[in-house]
Amino acid sequence: MRLSKQAVASFAVTGMVLGASLAVLADAFQDRHMAMEEIGDAMKALGAIAKKEAPFDAAVVKKSATTIADNLKTASGLFPAGSGGGDSRAKPEIWTDAAGFEKTLKDAQAAAAALQSVADEAAFRPALGTLGGSCKACHDKYRLPPKP
Amino acid sequence: MTRRSRSAATLATLLVAGAAAFWLLTRPAPLPASVVPSHELDLRNGETLFHAGSCLACHRPPDDAPGDHGLPSGGRPFPTPIGVFYPQNLTPDPETGLGRWNEIDFVNAMRLGISPSGTHYFPAFPYASYRSMTMADLLDLRAYLRSLPAVRSGPRAARVPLLTLARRGVGLWKRIAFRQPAFSPAPGHPLSWTRGAYLVNAPGHCGECHTPKDVLMVADQSRFMAGGPHPGGEGKVPSLRGLLARKRYKSADDLVLALQNGETLGYEHLSSGGMAAIQENLARLPEGDVQAIAAYLLSLE
Repeated sequence: MRLSKQAVASFAVTGMVLGASLAVLADAFQDRHMAMEEIGDAMKALGAIAKKEAPFDAAVVKKSATTIADNLKTASGLFPAGSGGGDSRAKPEIWTDAAGFEKTLKDAQAAAAALQSVADEAAFRPALGTLGGSCKACHDKYRLPPKP
Repeated sequence: MTRRSRSAATLATLLVAGAAAFWLLTRPAPLPASVVPSHELDLRNGETLFHAGSCLACHRPPDDAPGDHGLPSGGRPFPTPIGVFYPQNLTPDPETGLGRWNEIDFVNAMRLGISPSGTHYFPAFPYASYRSMTMADLLDLRAYLRSLPAVRSGPRAARVPLLTLARRGVGLWKRIAFRQPAFSPAPGHPLSWTRGAYLVNAPGHCGECHTPKDVLMVADQSRFMAGGPHPGGEGKVPSLRGLLARKRYKSADDLVLALQNGETLGYEHLSSGGMAAIQENLARLPEGDVQAIAAYLLSLE
């Protein structure tokens, strides 16, 4: 079978587009996984203060809260349609209820921003509670149980 | 008789005998009212049991329902592999709730999975765990539910194929499942451990998800609390064994904080697969009970 040059070219372009979009989806999964890991590490530092395993230190709080806020800002762009499934624990509701998902993410961003400017221990605990609560609200609704 | 009509007669006899055996083996046998002892009711204890059992997690109203979502008015769809159930309204509304249930009705539901009209409940309602609750606790829990404001809810029948036949068939399942003895804590442990063991295994019904089921859908006690496939169909339920050895928690205090706060303190494992709602209910328990649960769970190796 002989293919015209146009056919070959269009196959090649389709293949490249397909490959590129698969790569983008795989990257989105990797990138948000990295973002979540960084948020998790920052939460550990904050949790240690809340549990009184570490002394209250406004600088540590600011640094950790900034890490979380920055990662949550980039997170908005890390859930392109079709990037669920496989090893991802993203629930389909992220895309079927896009408005609801966007709102919980916005709540988390606001909570992280509020935590950045906390000056004393009395304000710290409720602010961390609000942030953690926003993590919980989103995970509860939009995250699958761990994969086997 | 010809050979053909003889074999038809044999087949008919076998069918009738089979149906009769099925009917007898699956017959619900509720307890009589005389088993209910006289008991001084303790509403505080009833409330503790309500939270320990996370009753609200399943008996909540649907997200879009009007009214107080802190009341167990039921109706939120509960999907299972065999169909969708709509958990019972537990408020004292006479038409759609437990308003007309007397004590023995409640005891039969919780102990034997039998409804006031004498039919089997599907074990999506975890009476296989609740049957290990003490009679006093059942009566206190009922009293607490009766103290809640009555909410009228839309009654919805379960969507299960061949519902009536399947419901009757649950009687066979009970014959197998109830062969396992009801849970009773092993002797020789501190009081707190014993309390924790009871809360986890009887009202708490943690094993309904954390202990995998065998092919007959009965808890596989050889893999007690070892985790397994998630009943929701995707992902897994984590093991509760060796939580210290596997460094899931640093200490009993750490696990207490996790159960009380969940992800508000960064314990992110407690908010997926439905566990967030359960954690929020456990957070309402008296601190001593949470400590008891932690002490017991950390002893599982």
